Amino acid sequence: MESPEKLVEMRSITKRFPGVLANDSASFTLLRGEVHALLGENGAGKTTLMNILYGLYTPDAGEIFVRGRRVQIRGPKDAISLGIGMVHQQFRLIPTHTVAENIIVGARDVGFVLRFGRINERLSELIKYYGWSISPTSKVWQLTAGEKQQVEILKALYRGAEILILDEPTSVLTPQETVVLFQTLRKMASQGLGVVLISHKLDEVMAVSDRVTVMRRGRTIVTKPTRETNQRELAFLMVGRELSELEARPMAAGGKPVLEASGLQILDDKGLLAVKNISLRLFRGEILGVAGVSGNGQEELIEALVGLRKVRAGKILLDGVEMTNRPSADFIREGVAYIPAESLRYTAADMTVAENIILKSYRNRRFSKRIFINWKTVYDEAGKIIKDFNIVTPSPFSKAGNLSGGNIQRLVIARELNLQDNIKVIVAAYPSKGLDVASTEFVQRKLVEAREKGVGIILLSEDLEELFLLSDRIIVMYRGEIVGELPRQQFDLEKVGLMMTGVKGAEVKA
Amino acid sequence: MRLPRGIRIERRLELPRRTSAALSAVFILLSFLVASAVFEMMGVNSVRTLSTVVSVFLSPPSLLQAVQRGLPIGLAALGLSIAFRMNFWNIGAEGQIYMGMFAATGMVLIHAYYGLIPEPLLMLSMVLAAFIVGGAYCLLPGFLRGRLDVNEILPTLMLNYVATLFVDFLVYGPWRDPQGFSFPLSIPFPQYARMDSFLGHSSYLGLLIMVVIAFLVYGLMQRTTLGFEMRVVGQNLEAARYAGISIFRTLLIGSFIAGGLAGIGGFTLVSGLIGRLRPRASPGYGYTAIIVAFLAGLNPWLIIPAAVFFGGLLVAGETIQAALNLPFAAVQVFQAIIFIMIIVAEFIKRYRVSIRI
Amino acid sequence: MSLVAVEWIESVLIGAVQAGTVFLIASLGEIYAERSGVLNLGMEGMMIVGAAVSFIVTNALGHGYAILAVLLAGLLLGLAHSFLTVSLRLNQIVVGLAITILGLGLGGLLGNAAIRRGIILFLNPEAPERNLIVQEAEKLPDIPIPFLRDIPVLGGMFFRQNGLVYLSLILAIVMWFILFKTRFGLSLRSVGENPAMSDAMGINVFRIRYISMVVCGMLGALAGSYLFIGYQPFWVEGMTQGRGFIALALVILATWNPLRAILGAYLFGGVEALQFRLQVLGVAAQLPQFLLMLPYIVTIATLVLLSLESVRKRIGVPASLGKPYSRE
Repeated sequence: MESPEKLVEMRSITKRFPGVLANDSASFTLLRGEVHALLGENGAGKTTLMNILYGLYTPDAGEIFVRGRRVQIRGPKDAISLGIGMVHQQFRLIPTHTVAENIIVGARDVGFVLRFGRINERLSELIKYYGWSISPTSKVWQLTAGEKQQVEILKALYRGAEILILDEPTSVLTPQETVVLFQTLRKMASQGLGVVLISHKLDEVMAVSDRVTVMRRGRTIVTKPTRETNQRELAFLMVGRELSELEARPMAAGGKPVLEASGLQILDDKGLLAVKNISLRLFRGEILGVAGVSGNGQEELIEALVGLRKVRAGKILLDGVEMTNRPSADFIREGVAYIPAESLRYTAADMTVAENIILKSYRNRRFSKRIFINWKTVYDEAGKIIKDFNIVTPSPFSKAGNLSGGNIQRLVIARELNLQDNIKVIVAAYPSKGLDVASTEFVQRKLVEAREKGVGIILLSEDLEELFLLSDRIIVMYRGEIVGELPRQQFDLEKVGLMMTGVKGAEVKA
Repeated sequence: MRLPRGIRIERRLELPRRTSAALSAVFILLSFLVASAVFEMMGVNSVRTLSTVVSVFLSPPSLLQAVQRGLPIGLAALGLSIAFRMNFWNIGAEGQIYMGMFAATGMVLIHAYYGLIPEPLLMLSMVLAAFIVGGAYCLLPGFLRGRLDVNEILPTLMLNYVATLFVDFLVYGPWRDPQGFSFPLSIPFPQYARMDSFLGHSSYLGLLIMVVIAFLVYGLMQRTTLGFEMRVVGQNLEAARYAGISIFRTLLIGSFIAGGLAGIGGFTLVSGLIGRLRPRASPGYGYTAIIVAFLAGLNPWLIIPAAVFFGGLLVAGETIQAALNLPFAAVQVFQAIIFIMIIVAEFIKRYRVSIRI
Repeated sequence: MSLVAVEWIESVLIGAVQAGTVFLIASLGEIYAERSGVLNLGMEGMMIVGAAVSFIVTNALGHGYAILAVLLAGLLLGLAHSFLTVSLRLNQIVVGLAITILGLGLGGLLGNAAIRRGIILFLNPEAPERNLIVQEAEKLPDIPIPFLRDIPVLGGMFFRQNGLVYLSLILAIVMWFILFKTRFGLSLRSVGENPAMSDAMGINVFRIRYISMVVCGMLGALAGSYLFIGYQPFWVEGMTQGRGFIALALVILATWNPLRAILGAYLFGGVEALQFRLQVLGVAAQLPQFLLMLPYIVTIATLVLLSLESVRKRIGVPASLGKPYSRE
C-alpha cells in the first residue's frame, strides 16, 4: 500500500513561556485521510503545539512543513491560507450574527454585495452533506453548543481547510452530539482531510482515531496506530507510570457537618435552572470532590456555596447557622474561603501585591481599626506571606498585574488561606487549571495541609486524577443534579466516567 | 498593531516618578508650542497671547485671582479624582457646580427672607447645603448605574444642561432681585456670606478649604476601608464582588462625595468670586476639572497646583479678551491642547515606541 | 378650531423632521463608529466645528464649498480621534471628551468676529462687507419635489425640505445596506464584536476602525453644518447645546441600526419641535427653562427605559465597544 501524503510535519518544536517549558522538542506528523488523536493530561502541551501550527504562537525552535514545504506561520491568517483550520475550546463566533455571516466573515470570494440567497443555498448543501440540521439564517446565540461547533467546523471547511484541528471538542457535547461529531470526523477523513483531535479522554481516542500521539510534559512520547494499542497502555504512557494505588485514608470524622446544603435550586446567568435539587453535607477535615462535565451546574453550585450567587430555593447552613442568600461578605467573615479558577479575573491588576493579598481580609481586625486600614501591619504581614507562599515579586509594593500566572494563583491561594484565623470551609474551583507541575503540586499540598487542620474542602476539578488523589469522597453532577456519590474506597475511573454521562450511581453498581 | 514596518510599540514597566513628572512637564511645554501654531494659523499673535498667560503667574494680585478661579475647578477635580478612581465616569461636575451654587444661594435667601439661619452659621450652612445638593445631584446617575446598570456618562452630561437651565429659571424667575432693574441676578450676598470676609481675600480661605479637602480625600482613598473598596470597584468589578464589597453601596457613597465636592466648588464661586447667583456663572469649570484631574494623575495633592494653573489660564483668557479682542474660546482651545498632550504623555509613559531600520 | 389644531400638529411633525435631521446625520456616523467598536464621545465637538465652518465658508464661498470644507474638517477630527484611540489605544472616553472640548474651543474661535473676518477674506478677498459681519448665513434652499410635495402632512414633512434632509434619508438607507448586506459591512460589524477573531479571519481591524471613525467625523461635522445652514442659520456660540451627546443616546435607542435611527431621530426632533412650539403658544410662559430641559430629561428617561432587563436582552451592544485592540 502506498503511504498517504504527509499533510503536516512538525519537527522538534520547542516553546517556552515564562517559567514553563510548554513544548520540549515535540514532533508530530499528520497524514492525509486520518483522524489523529493528540492525547495527554491537562498541561501536557497539546494545545500549545496545535496553537503553534495555527499561528497563534511562534515556536522558539523547530521546523514546520505543510504538504512537504517548509513554512513560517506568523498568524492564523497564514495558517488559514495554508488550509489549516482550528476549532477552539472557547468558540470564536459572534453570537448576534447569523450562521452564514459567521461562516463567510472575512472571506474574499463572496463579492462586495453579499447575496445571501446564493450563499445560504451553498451552505445548506454543505450542512446536509454532513447530516446536520442547522439553518444558515439562524442567529448563533440560538444554537446549542454542538451546533455552534458545527458552525466552527463549517467556517474552517468554507475556507478550504484540509487540516482541521479540534481542541477537546467533546468537553461541551452531550453523548449524542459526540456520536454525531465522530461520524463527521470519519466522513471528513474519508474525504482526504487530515483531522487532529486534541483530547485527554482515552475512550474517545480509541473510538475515533486512526493514529494516536501521546504527549507528556511538553514532549511527544510516542505515535502509534490506534488499533495496535489499548486504553491501559495509553493511560500508562500519558501519566508516565501506572496509576498509583491511592493511599488508604481514615474516613473523615463524622459528627456535625461544617457545611450543609439542602434542596438547592440555582439559576444561571441566563435565568435558566442550572442546579435543580441538590443537597450535600461537608464534614470537617474532609475533601469532597465534585466531578462532572463542565456546564452541568457545578460553577453555579459553588458560587452559591460562597455567597456569590443567589439561590432560588433551598438552604445553606454553615456550622448550623443559616447563611442562605446572605451577602458574600458574611460568608467571608464566617470563614468560607473560595479559590476560583482564572485567578487573574479576581485580582486588581493596578493595585499592589499586598493590597491584593488583603483584598478579602481588609475588614479583619488584624488589618483595620474601625474604618482605618493599618498599612504598616498589612505590608509587614504581606512580606511574610509572600515568603511563605513563594510569590515571586520584587516587593509587596509592586503592581499585581506584573506577576506571572502561576504567581497570581499563589497570591490568590495566599489571600484565601489568610482570610482569617478560623477558616472553616475552602471551596476550590479548578485550582490547578493552567498551572505548571510545580505550581499544581504546591496547590495540592496546601489543600491537604488545610484538610489536616480540620478544614472542610470542596474541590471542583475536570481532572479526575486530581480528584482521586485528593478527595475523601466524590459526588458526580449531571444536568444540575447529583447522580452519584462514591467513598474513597470505591473510586474508579470507569464508574465516575459513566456517571458523568448521566448514568445514575445505582445503575453503575448493578 | 499595524504600523509601518520598523515601528514597534511595547508595554513598559513602571517609570520612576521623576521621569514621569519630567515627561509631563515636557508635554505641557509642547502644548504651548502646538497652541501657538494653532493661534498663528487663525491670525492671532501667539507670542503676546502666551506671554499674557505667563505673566499671570508672575504678579501676586493676578496669582490670587488664579487661585480664586482655580477653586471651583480644584474642588470639582478632587471629587472627580474619587469618581474616576472608582471608574465612575462623572462628566457632570459642571451641573453639580450649578447645583452647589443653587444650594448656597438658597441658604442666603432663606436667611435674608425668613431669617431662619443665624448669621454666624450662614457660611457653614451654605457649604453643607452645597455639598448635600451637589452630592444628591450626582447620586441619581450613581443610583442608575448601580441599580439599572445605566452607563453614567450620558446621564451626567444631560444633567449638566438641566442644572444650567434650572439656575436660569431661578434667576430669571422667582429668585430675581426685586431691586435689580430686572437683570437676571439674585440679591447680592451680605458681606458675612462672602468668603473674603475671612482673611481678606477669598483665595486664602478657598486655598485653606482646598488643602483640607485634599487631605481628607487623600486620607479617604488611601487610609480607609471605604477608599480601598472604591479603588477595588474601579479596578475590577468582578474582583470587588468576589471580595464581598457591595458595589451598589460603594457607588452611591462615592458618587455622592464626588458630586458634593463639586457642589462646594459651586459654593466658592457664588460666595467667593461673584457674590450673587447669576445665569451661566460657570464658563465650564466642571469640564476643566476633568482635565485637571487627569493632569494631576488623580493625585489629590497635585490637583491643587494643577487647578491654580488652569485658574491662571482663565485669568489670562480674560486679559486676552480685553486686550487682544480674542474670544474666550482661545483659552478653551489651549485647554484642549494641553488635555490631548497629557493623554499622549500617558501613552508614552505606558508604552515604549522604538524605531528600527 | 380643529383645523387650527390639525395645522399645528402638522407644523410639529414638519418641525420634528427638520430638528430630527441633525440627530439623524450625527447618529448615522456614530452607529458606524460604535459598530466597529469605537465610542465617539467627541461628536458634540465635531458638530460645533461643522456648524462654525459652514458659517464661515458659506459667507465666503457659498453652500457647496461650505459642505466640502465641513466634510474635510470632520475628516481631520475623525482621523485625530482614531489616531489617538485606535493607534495609540488611549481611553476612548477621555479622547472623546478632549475632542469635544477642542471642538467647542475651535468653534468659538472660528465664530469670533475678527477671526471670521480674516478667514473669509482669505478664502474670498471679494466677499461683500455684509458677509463679513453678519451673525448668520444664507439658509439652504428648500427643494420641493413635484407631485409628492402636495401629499397632505407627508408632503410637508418629507418633500418640501432642503437637500440635506433628503440626503440624510438616502444615507440612512445606503448605510443600512452597506452595514448589513455587503462584505465591508459584515467585516465592520465583526470587528466591533470580536476584533481578535476578525483579525485572524484576515480583516484589517485598524483600517476598518479608521474608516468608520472618519465616516463618523465627517457625518458629525455634516450634522453640525445642517444645524446651522439647514435649520437655524444664526450663529450662537455653543449652539449645538448637547445635541451631539443626545445623538449618542439615540444610537442605543436605534439599537445600532441606521433605519431605526430615522424613527428615533424624528422622535427626538419631535420633542425639540414640540418644546419650541409650546413656547410660541405661550404654554408655561413663566417657565420656558423647563420646556428647554425636555430633550435632556427625555434622553435620560430613554436610557433608563433601555436598561430595563426585558429590553436589554433584545439589544446587542457591540461587544468590543470602548475596548482598544492590540495584537499582544
